[in-house]
Amino acid sequence: MSMVKLVNVRKSFGDLEVLKGVNLEVQQGEVVCIIGASGSGKSTMLRCLNQLERISDGEIYIEDVLSDKRANNKDLMKIDPVTVQSLCTELGMVFQNFNLFPHLTVIDNVTIAPLIVKKTDKKIAETRALDLLSMVGLSEKKDEYPSRLSGGQQQRVAIARALAMDPKIMMFDEPTSALDPELVGEVLATMRHLAEKGMTMLIVTHEIGFAREVADRVIFMDGGVICEEGTPEEVLLNPKEERTKSFLNKIL
Amino acid sequence: MGQCSNFYDEGKINVLNETQLWAIFDGTIVTLEIAIVAIIFGAIFGVVVALGRLSKNKVANVLSWLYIWFFRGTPLLLQLFIIFYAIPIIYLDATGITFEVNPMIAAFVAFSLNATAYLAEIIRAAIESIDGGQMEASKALGMSYRQAMTKIIIPQTYKRLVAPLGNELIMLLKDTSLVSTIALFDLLRTTKTMASATGSWIYYIYAAAIYLFLTTIIQVVFDIMEKKLGIYER
Repeated sequence: MSMVKLVNVRKSFGDLEVLKGVNLEVQQGEVVCIIGASGSGKSTMLRCLNQLERISDGEIYIEDVLSDKRANNKDLMKIDPVTVQSLCTELGMVFQNFNLFPHLTVIDNVTIAPLIVKKTDKKIAETRALDLLSMVGLSEKKDEYPSRLSGGQQQRVAIARALAMDPKIMMFDEPTSALDPELVGEVLATMRHLAEKGMTMLIVTHEIGFAREVADRVIFMDGGVICEEGTPEEVLLNPKEERTKSFLNKIL
Repeated sequence: MGQCSNFYDEGKINVLNETQLWAIFDGTIVTLEIAIVAIIFGAIFGVVVALGRLSKNKVANVLSWLYIWFFRGTPLLLQLFIIFYAIPIIYLDATGITFEVNPMIAAFVAFSLNATAYLAEIIRAAIESIDGGQMEASKALGMSYRQAMTKIIIPQTYKRLVAPLGNELIMLLKDTSLVSTIALFDLLRTTKTMASATGSWIYYIYAAAIYLFLTTIIQVVFDIMEKKLGIYER
Protein backbone atom coordinates (compact mmCIF):
# COMPACT_ATOMS: atom_id res chain seq x y z
CA MET A 1 0.00 0.00 0.00
CA SER A 2 1.27 3.42 -0.91
CA MET A 3 1.62 5.54 2.20
CA VAL A 4 2.66 8.81 0.62
CA LYS A 5 3.01 9.84 -2.95
CA LEU A 6 4.38 13.02 -4.46
CA VAL A 7 3.59 13.67 -8.11
CA ASN A 8 5.63 16.29 -9.90
CA VAL A 9 5.87 18.45 -6.82
CA ARG A 10 7.37 21.89 -7.18
CA LYS A 11 7.89 24.46 -4.48
CA SER A 12 9.10 28.01 -4.86
CA PHE A 13 9.86 30.61 -2.26
CA GLY A 14 9.41 33.74 -4.31
CA ASP A 15 11.87 33.46 -7.18
CA LEU A 16 13.75 30.61 -5.59
CA GLU A 17 12.58 27.22 -6.77
CA VAL A 18 13.52 24.68 -4.11
CA LEU A 19 11.71 21.63 -5.44
CA LYS A 20 11.78 21.23 -9.20
CA GLY A 21 9.48 18.35 -9.89
CA VAL A 22 9.80 15.60 -7.28
CA ASN A 23 8.18 12.20 -7.73
CA LEU A 24 8.27 9.85 -4.80
CA GLU A 25 6.19 7.00 -3.55
CA VAL A 26 6.71 5.32 -0.20
CA GLN A 27 5.21 1.91 0.57
CA GLN A 28 3.95 0.69 3.89
CA GLY A 29 6.73 -0.41 6.21
CA GLU A 30 9.41 1.09 4.02
CA VAL A 31 12.30 3.04 5.57
CA VAL A 32 13.49 5.69 3.18
CA CYS A 33 16.56 7.77 3.93
CA ILE A 34 17.02 11.01 2.07
CA ILE A 35 20.51 12.39 1.72
CA GLY A 36 21.90 15.40 -0.07
CA ALA A 37 23.63 18.71 0.46
CA SER A 38 21.89 21.49 2.35
CA GLY A 39 19.64 23.45 0.06
CA SER A 40 18.92 20.41 -2.07
CA GLY A 41 15.26 20.42 -0.98
CA LYS A 42 15.24 17.43 1.40
CA SER A 43 13.67 19.21 4.34
CA THR A 44 11.32 21.18 2.14
CA MET A 45 10.03 17.93 0.70
CA LEU A 46 9.13 16.62 4.18
CA ARG A 47 7.60 19.94 5.17
CA CYS A 48 5.46 19.93 2.03
CA LEU A 49 4.19 16.46 2.84
CA ASN A 50 2.54 17.50 6.08
CA GLN A 51 1.74 20.92 4.67
CA LEU A 52 3.95 22.99 6.90
CA GLU A 53 4.79 24.42 3.49
CA ARG A 54 2.27 24.59 0.70
CA ILE A 55 3.46 23.21 -2.62
CA SER A 56 3.41 25.44 -5.71
CA ASP A 57 2.68 22.68 -8.23
CA GLY A 58 1.88 19.01 -8.21
CA GLU A 59 -0.09 16.49 -6.19
CA ILE A 60 0.31 14.92 -2.78
CA TYR A 61 -1.39 11.70 -1.76
CA ILE A 62 -1.47 10.35 1.76
CA GLU A 63 -2.57 6.71 1.92
CA ASP A 64 -3.80 7.03 -1.66
CA VAL A 65 -6.05 9.97 -0.76
CA LEU A 66 -5.36 13.26 -2.49
CA SER A 67 -4.39 15.81 0.15
CA ASP A 68 -3.27 18.67 -2.07
CA LYS A 69 -3.20 19.53 -5.74
CA ARG A 70 -1.89 22.81 -7.03
CA ALA A 71 -0.74 24.49 -10.19
CA ASN A 72 1.10 27.80 -10.19
CA ASN A 73 0.35 28.26 -6.50
CA LYS A 74 -3.35 27.86 -7.18
CA ASP A 75 -5.26 25.41 -5.04
CA LEU A 76 -7.04 23.26 -7.62
CA MET A 77 -9.01 21.01 -5.32
CA LYS A 78 -9.82 23.24 -2.33
CA ILE A 79 -9.86 20.19 -0.11
CA ASP A 80 -11.66 20.79 3.16
CA PRO A 81 -9.09 21.85 5.81
CA VAL A 82 -10.47 19.33 8.32
CA THR A 83 -9.78 16.50 5.87
CA VAL A 84 -6.31 17.84 5.19
CA GLN A 85 -5.68 18.11 8.91
CA SER A 86 -6.73 14.53 9.55
CA LEU A 87 -4.61 13.28 6.63
CA CYS A 88 -1.61 15.22 7.91
CA THR A 89 -1.89 13.74 11.39
CA GLU A 90 -1.12 10.39 9.75
CA LEU A 91 2.36 11.88 9.42
CA GLY A 92 4.41 12.29 12.58
CA MET A 93 7.26 14.75 12.39
CA VAL A 94 10.49 15.00 14.33
CA PHE A 95 12.43 18.22 13.93
CA GLN A 96 16.11 19.00 13.93
CA ASN A 97 15.67 21.35 16.91
CA PHE A 98 13.27 19.03 18.79
CA ASN A 99 10.75 21.87 19.28
CA LEU A 100 9.51 20.42 22.52
CA PHE A 101 7.05 22.63 24.37
CA PRO A 102 9.24 24.17 27.09
CA HIS A 103 6.38 25.13 29.39
CA LEU A 104 5.10 21.57 29.63
CA THR A 105 6.61 18.63 31.45
CA VAL A 106 7.81 15.65 29.44
CA ILE A 107 4.59 13.71 29.94
CA ASP A 108 2.43 16.72 29.12
CA ASN A 109 4.44 17.23 25.94
CA VAL A 110 3.48 13.70 24.94
CA THR A 111 -0.17 13.85 25.99
CA ILE A 112 -1.16 17.33 24.86
CA ALA A 113 -1.86 16.57 21.21
CA PRO A 114 -3.92 13.42 21.89
CA LEU A 115 -5.84 15.32 24.58
CA ILE A 116 -6.73 18.42 22.60
CA VAL A 117 -6.68 17.17 19.00
CA LYS A 118 -8.07 13.67 19.35
CA LYS A 119 -9.93 14.37 22.63
CA THR A 120 -8.48 11.18 24.04
CA ASP A 121 -9.45 10.39 27.61
CA LYS A 122 -6.80 11.69 30.02
CA LYS A 123 -6.16 8.32 31.67
CA ILE A 124 -5.74 6.56 28.34
CA ALA A 125 -3.48 9.32 26.98
CA GLU A 126 -1.26 9.13 30.06
CA THR A 127 -0.99 5.35 29.99
CA ARG A 128 -0.06 5.51 26.32
CA ALA A 129 2.44 8.30 26.99
CA LEU A 130 4.11 6.27 29.73
CA ASP A 131 4.39 3.31 27.37
CA LEU A 132 5.99 5.50 24.74
CA LEU A 133 8.34 7.12 27.23
CA SER A 134 9.47 3.75 28.46
CA MET A 135 9.99 2.69 24.85
CA VAL A 136 12.36 5.64 24.35
CA GLY A 137 13.88 4.93 27.77
CA LEU A 138 12.73 8.06 29.56
CA SER A 139 9.90 7.05 31.90
CA GLU A 140 11.82 8.35 34.90
CA LYS A 141 11.99 11.82 33.34
CA LYS A 142 8.26 12.17 32.88
CA ASP A 143 7.84 15.07 35.30
CA GLU A 144 10.89 17.03 34.22
CA TYR A 145 10.74 20.09 32.02
CA PRO A 146 12.52 19.79 28.66
CA SER A 147 15.18 22.31 29.69
CA ARG A 148 16.44 19.78 32.24
CA LEU A 149 17.08 17.13 29.57
CA SER A 150 20.04 16.61 27.27
CA GLY A 151 19.59 17.10 23.55
CA GLY A 152 19.41 13.38 22.96
CA GLN A 153 16.78 12.94 25.64
CA GLN A 154 14.80 15.86 24.26
CA GLN A 155 14.83 14.33 20.81
CA ARG A 156 13.64 11.00 22.18
CA VAL A 157 10.77 12.79 23.92
CA ALA A 158 10.00 14.46 20.61
CA ILE A 159 9.81 11.03 18.99
CA ALA A 160 7.47 9.81 21.73
CA ARG A 161 5.37 12.96 21.31
CA ALA A 162 4.99 12.35 17.58
CA LEU A 163 4.17 8.67 18.14
CA ALA A 164 1.46 9.56 20.65
CA MET A 165 -0.73 10.68 17.75
CA ASP A 166 -0.43 7.15 16.29
CA PRO A 167 0.91 8.29 12.93
CA LYS A 168 1.20 5.77 10.12
CA ILE A 169 4.35 7.42 8.82
CA MET A 170 7.17 9.02 10.79
CA MET A 171 9.20 11.78 9.20
CA PHE A 172 12.55 12.81 10.65
CA ASP A 173 14.11 16.07 9.56
CA GLU A 174 17.81 15.76 10.37
CA PRO A 175 16.99 14.40 13.83
CA THR A 176 20.58 14.16 14.99
CA SER A 177 22.11 17.25 13.38
CA ALA A 178 21.69 19.46 16.46
CA LEU A 179 23.11 16.86 18.83
CA ASP A 180 26.52 16.50 20.40
CA PRO A 181 28.25 13.51 18.81
CA GLU A 182 28.02 11.37 21.92
CA LEU A 183 24.22 11.80 22.01
CA VAL A 184 23.58 10.78 18.41
CA GLY A 185 23.66 7.05 19.15
CA GLU A 186 20.74 6.99 21.60
CA VAL A 187 18.46 8.77 19.11
CA LEU A 188 19.49 6.50 16.25
CA ALA A 189 18.87 3.48 18.48
CA THR A 190 15.32 4.66 19.10
CA MET A 191 14.78 5.14 15.38
CA ARG A 192 16.25 1.75 14.60
CA HIS A 193 13.82 0.23 17.09
CA LEU A 194 10.92 1.93 15.30
CA ALA A 195 12.14 0.68 11.95
CA GLU A 196 12.34 -2.86 13.30
CA LYS A 197 8.75 -2.60 14.48
CA GLY A 198 7.70 -1.96 10.90
CA MET A 199 7.05 1.78 11.04
CA THR A 200 7.04 3.52 7.69
CA MET A 201 9.77 6.12 7.92
CA LEU A 202 11.08 9.01 5.89
CA ILE A 203 14.39 10.20 7.25
CA VAL A 204 16.42 13.18 6.14
CA THR A 205 19.86 12.48 7.51
CA HIS A 206 23.58 12.95 7.18
CA GLU A 207 24.26 9.73 9.09
CA ILE A 208 25.37 7.61 6.15
CA GLY A 209 26.24 4.62 8.31
CA PHE A 210 22.79 4.64 9.82
CA ALA A 211 21.16 4.98 6.41
CA ARG A 212 23.13 2.03 5.12
CA GLU A 213 22.04 -0.06 8.05
CA VAL A 214 18.32 0.69 8.35
CA ALA A 215 17.17 2.05 5.00
CA ASP A 216 15.25 -0.05 2.50
CA ARG A 217 15.81 2.70 0.00
CA VAL A 218 18.15 5.68 -0.15
CA ILE A 219 17.34 8.80 -2.08
CA PHE A 220 19.95 11.32 -3.08
CA MET A 221 18.56 14.77 -3.73
CA ASP A 222 20.38 17.52 -5.52
CA GLY A 223 19.17 20.86 -6.85
CA GLY A 224 15.54 20.23 -5.99
CA VAL A 225 15.18 16.88 -7.73
CA ILE A 226 15.71 13.26 -6.84
CA CYS A 227 19.00 12.59 -8.52
CA GLU A 228 19.45 8.94 -7.67
CA GLU A 229 17.60 6.34 -5.70
CA GLY A 230 17.96 2.68 -4.91
CA THR A 231 18.99 0.28 -2.20
CA PRO A 232 21.65 1.51 0.26
CA GLU A 233 24.22 -0.67 -1.55
CA GLU A 234 23.37 0.83 -4.90
CA VAL A 235 23.30 4.47 -3.87
CA LEU A 236 25.84 4.58 -1.07
CA LEU A 237 28.35 1.99 -2.20
CA ASN A 238 28.04 2.01 -5.98
CA PRO A 239 26.54 5.33 -6.97
CA LYS A 240 26.00 5.79 -10.67
CA GLU A 241 25.53 9.51 -10.80
CA GLU A 242 28.53 11.83 -10.72
CA ARG A 243 26.76 14.19 -8.31
CA THR A 244 26.07 11.37 -5.87
CA LYS A 245 29.70 10.27 -6.02
CA SER A 246 31.04 13.74 -5.40
CA PHE A 247 28.60 14.30 -2.50
CA LEU A 248 29.53 11.02 -0.84
CA ASN A 249 33.22 11.76 -1.32
CA LYS A 250 32.79 15.04 0.47
CA ILE A 251 31.03 13.69 3.53
CA LEU A 252 32.67 10.31 4.03
CA MET B 1 -15.84 62.90 48.45
CA GLY B 2 -18.07 64.66 50.95
CA GLN B 3 -15.29 64.75 53.48
CA CYS B 4 -13.16 66.96 51.30
CA SER B 5 -14.99 70.14 52.25
CA ASN B 6 -13.76 70.19 55.81
CA PHE B 7 -10.03 69.51 55.52
CA TYR B 8 -9.18 73.00 56.61
CA ASP B 9 -11.38 72.95 59.72
CA GLU B 10 -8.40 71.81 61.71
CA GLY B 11 -6.09 74.56 60.47
CA LYS B 12 -2.42 74.04 59.65
CA ILE B 13 -1.47 70.74 61.10
CA ASN B 14 0.89 68.11 59.87
CA VAL B 15 -0.68 65.14 61.54
CA LEU B 16 -3.69 63.85 59.65
CA ASN B 17 -7.03 63.97 61.38
CA GLU B 18 -9.57 61.25 60.84
CA THR B 19 -11.47 63.10 58.10
CA GLN B 20 -8.30 63.71 56.15
CA LEU B 21 -7.18 60.15 56.63
CA TRP B 22 -10.44 58.86 55.19
CA ALA B 23 -10.26 61.34 52.33
CA ILE B 24 -6.76 60.17 51.47
CA PHE B 25 -7.91 56.57 51.81
CA ASP B 26 -10.81 57.22 49.43
CA GLY B 27 -8.46 58.94 46.99
CA THR B 28 -6.10 55.99 47.12
CA ILE B 29 -9.00 53.64 46.42
CA VAL B 30 -10.01 55.71 43.37
CA THR B 31 -6.44 55.57 42.11
CA LEU B 32 -6.17 51.84 42.68
CA GLU B 33 -9.57 51.05 41.21
CA ILE B 34 -8.82 52.81 37.95
CA ALA B 35 -5.37 51.25 37.60
CA ILE B 36 -6.59 47.73 38.38
CA VAL B 37 -9.68 47.91 36.16
CA ALA B 38 -7.53 49.26 33.33
CA ILE B 39 -4.82 46.60 33.63
CA ILE B 40 -7.40 43.78 33.69
CA PHE B 41 -9.45 45.01 30.74
CA GLY B 42 -6.29 46.14 28.99
CA ALA B 43 -4.79 42.65 29.27
CA ILE B 44 -7.95 40.93 28.03
CA PHE B 45 -8.61 43.24 25.10
CA GLY B 46 -4.89 43.56 24.53
CA VAL B 47 -4.74 39.86 23.63
CA VAL B 48 -7.60 40.36 21.17
CA VAL B 49 -5.98 43.39 19.51
CA ALA B 50 -2.59 41.65 19.47
CA LEU B 51 -4.09 38.61 17.72
CA GLY B 52 -5.73 41.01 15.28
CA ARG B 53 -2.33 42.52 14.51
CA LEU B 54 -0.89 39.04 13.93
CA SER B 55 -3.88 37.83 11.95
CA LYS B 56 -3.76 37.10 8.26
CA ASN B 57 -7.23 38.62 8.01
CA LYS B 58 -6.79 42.06 6.41
CA VAL B 59 -9.75 43.66 8.17
CA ALA B 60 -8.69 42.49 11.63
CA ASN B 61 -5.20 43.63 10.83
CA VAL B 62 -6.14 47.13 9.75
CA LEU B 63 -8.64 47.62 12.57
CA SER B 64 -6.17 46.63 15.26
CA TRP B 65 -3.47 48.75 13.66
CA LEU B 66 -5.79 51.77 13.63
CA TYR B 67 -6.80 51.12 17.22
CA ILE B 68 -3.22 51.13 18.45
CA TRP B 69 -2.37 54.05 16.19
CA PHE B 70 -5.09 56.20 17.74
CA PHE B 71 -4.89 55.26 21.40
CA ARG B 72 -1.13 55.25 21.57
CA GLY B 73 -0.80 58.30 19.37
CA THR B 74 -3.00 60.71 21.30
CA PRO B 75 -2.67 61.87 24.91
CA LEU B 76 -4.53 59.87 27.52
CA LEU B 77 -5.82 63.16 28.88
CA LEU B 78 -7.40 63.94 25.52
CA GLN B 79 -9.04 60.51 25.43
CA LEU B 80 -10.42 61.16 28.89
CA PHE B 81 -11.82 64.52 27.74
CA ILE B 82 -13.39 62.98 24.66
CA ILE B 83 -15.21 60.39 26.73
CA PHE B 84 -16.20 62.66 29.59
CA TYR B 85 -16.84 65.99 27.85
CA ALA B 86 -17.13 65.46 24.09
CA ILE B 87 -19.37 62.43 23.93
CA PRO B 88 -22.25 64.00 25.93
CA ILE B 89 -22.09 67.06 23.65
CA ILE B 90 -22.08 64.92 20.52
CA TYR B 91 -25.01 62.98 21.94
CA LEU B 92 -26.86 66.19 22.75
CA ASP B 93 -26.31 67.53 19.25
CA ALA B 94 -27.49 64.34 17.69
CA THR B 95 -30.52 63.56 19.83
CA GLY B 96 -31.32 66.68 21.79
CA ILE B 97 -31.13 64.71 25.02
CA THR B 98 -28.66 65.65 27.72
CA PHE B 99 -26.85 63.02 29.67
CA GLU B 100 -23.89 63.00 31.93
CA VAL B 101 -21.13 60.46 31.95
CA ASN B 102 -20.31 59.17 35.39
CA PRO B 103 -16.70 60.34 35.88
CA MET B 104 -15.63 57.03 37.38
CA ILE B 105 -17.04 55.13 34.38
CA ALA B 106 -15.36 57.59 32.04
CA ALA B 107 -12.05 56.99 33.80
CA PHE B 108 -12.48 53.19 33.65
CA VAL B 109 -13.25 53.32 29.95
CA ALA B 110 -10.51 55.77 28.97
CA PHE B 111 -7.80 54.04 30.97
CA SER B 112 -8.85 50.59 29.77
CA LEU B 113 -8.92 51.63 26.13
CA ASN B 114 -5.53 53.26 26.48
CA ALA B 115 -3.97 50.35 28.36
CA THR B 116 -5.34 47.98 25.71
CA ALA B 117 -3.33 49.74 23.02
CA TYR B 118 -0.06 49.56 24.94
CA LEU B 119 -0.59 46.01 26.16
CA ALA B 120 -1.57 44.84 22.66
CA GLU B 121 1.84 45.86 21.39
CA ILE B 122 3.56 44.25 24.36
CA ILE B 123 1.60 41.03 23.85
CA ARG B 124 2.18 41.02 20.10
CA ALA B 125 5.91 41.39 20.59
CA ALA B 126 5.90 38.61 23.20
CA ILE B 127 4.02 36.25 20.86
CA GLU B 128 6.38 37.05 18.01
CA SER B 129 9.36 36.35 20.24
CA ILE B 130 8.31 32.70 20.66
CA ASP B 131 10.36 30.46 18.37
CA GLY B 132 8.58 29.64 15.10
CA GLY B 133 9.35 25.95 15.66
CA GLN B 134 6.72 25.90 18.39
CA MET B 135 3.93 26.71 15.95
CA GLU B 136 5.34 24.21 13.43
CA ALA B 137 5.50 21.44 16.00
CA SER B 138 1.94 22.24 17.07
CA LYS B 139 0.70 22.11 13.50
CA ALA B 140 2.61 18.92 12.79
CA LEU B 141 0.79 17.36 15.75
CA GLY B 142 -2.52 18.32 14.18
CA MET B 143 -3.39 21.32 16.33
CA SER B 144 -5.42 24.13 14.85
CA TYR B 145 -4.08 27.69 14.91
CA ARG B 146 -6.37 28.46 17.80
CA GLN B 147 -5.27 25.42 19.81
CA ALA B 148 -1.62 26.16 19.13
CA MET B 149 -2.07 29.76 20.25
CA THR B 150 -4.03 29.07 23.41
CA LYS B 151 -2.22 25.94 24.60
CA ILE B 152 1.32 26.38 23.30
CA ILE B 153 2.27 29.90 22.22
CA ILE B 154 0.42 32.24 24.56
CA PRO B 155 1.25 30.28 27.75
CA GLN B 156 4.93 30.67 26.87
CA THR B 157 4.54 34.45 26.72
CA TYR B 158 3.35 34.76 30.33
CA LYS B 159 6.79 34.98 31.82
CA ARG B 160 7.89 37.48 29.21
CA LEU B 161 4.77 39.54 29.83
CA VAL B 162 5.11 39.88 33.58
CA ALA B 163 7.82 42.56 33.60
CA PRO B 164 6.20 44.84 30.99
CA LEU B 165 2.80 44.25 32.58
CA GLY B 166 4.15 45.40 35.94
CA ASN B 167 5.67 48.38 34.21
CA GLU B 168 2.34 49.24 32.62
CA LEU B 169 0.49 48.89 35.92
CA ILE B 170 2.92 51.26 37.61
CA MET B 171 2.52 53.76 34.77
CA LEU B 172 -1.25 53.48 35.00
CA LEU B 173 -1.22 53.95 38.74
CA LYS B 174 0.68 57.20 38.40
CA ASP B 175 -1.28 58.37 35.36
CA THR B 176 -4.54 58.08 37.29
CA SER B 177 -3.72 61.55 38.63
CA LEU B 178 -5.11 62.79 35.29
CA VAL B 179 -8.64 62.06 36.51
CA SER B 180 -8.56 65.15 38.70
CA THR B 181 -9.53 66.96 35.48
CA ILE B 182 -12.89 65.20 35.32
CA ALA B 183 -14.07 65.94 38.84
CA LEU B 184 -12.64 62.84 40.51
CA PHE B 185 -10.76 62.95 43.76
CA ASP B 186 -7.89 60.56 43.30
CA LEU B 187 -4.95 60.35 45.66
CA LEU B 188 -3.01 63.27 44.19
CA ARG B 189 -5.93 65.62 43.92
CA THR B 190 -7.07 64.85 47.45
CA THR B 191 -3.66 65.58 48.91
CA LYS B 192 -3.16 68.64 46.73
CA THR B 193 -6.47 70.06 47.94
CA MET B 194 -5.34 69.54 51.52
CA ALA B 195 -2.00 71.13 50.80
CA SER B 196 -3.61 74.23 49.26
CA ALA B 197 -6.16 74.46 52.01
CA THR B 198 -3.63 74.27 54.81
CA GLY B 199 -0.56 75.67 53.10
CA SER B 200 1.47 72.71 54.26
CA TRP B 201 3.78 70.76 51.97
CA ILE B 202 3.66 67.64 54.10
CA TYR B 203 0.65 66.34 52.20
CA TYR B 204 2.79 65.93 49.11
CA ILE B 205 5.11 63.74 51.14
CA TYR B 206 2.15 61.63 52.23
CA ALA B 207 1.09 61.30 48.60
CA ALA B 208 4.61 60.33 47.51
CA ALA B 209 4.82 57.79 50.32
CA ILE B 210 1.53 56.17 49.33
CA TYR B 211 2.45 56.06 45.63
CA LEU B 212 5.80 54.53 46.51
CA PHE B 213 4.17 52.04 48.85
CA LEU B 214 1.78 50.91 46.11
CA THR B 215 4.37 50.72 43.36
CA THR B 216 6.72 48.82 45.66
CA ILE B 217 4.05 46.20 46.26
CA ILE B 218 3.47 45.92 42.52
CA GLN B 219 7.19 45.57 41.90
CA VAL B 220 7.65 42.87 44.54
CA VAL B 221 4.55 40.92 43.50
CA PHE B 222 5.52 41.01 39.83
CA ASP B 223 9.07 39.94 40.62
CA ILE B 224 7.73 36.91 42.46
CA MET B 225 5.32 36.13 39.63
CA GLU B 226 8.11 36.30 37.10
CA LYS B 227 10.18 33.78 39.04
CA LYS B 228 7.22 31.45 39.51
CA LEU B 229 6.19 31.53 35.86
CA GLY B 230 9.71 30.90 34.65
CA ILE B 231 9.99 27.68 36.63
CA TYR B 232 10.31 25.60 33.46
CA GLU B 233 13.37 27.52 32.32
CA ARG B 234 16.50 26.19 33.87
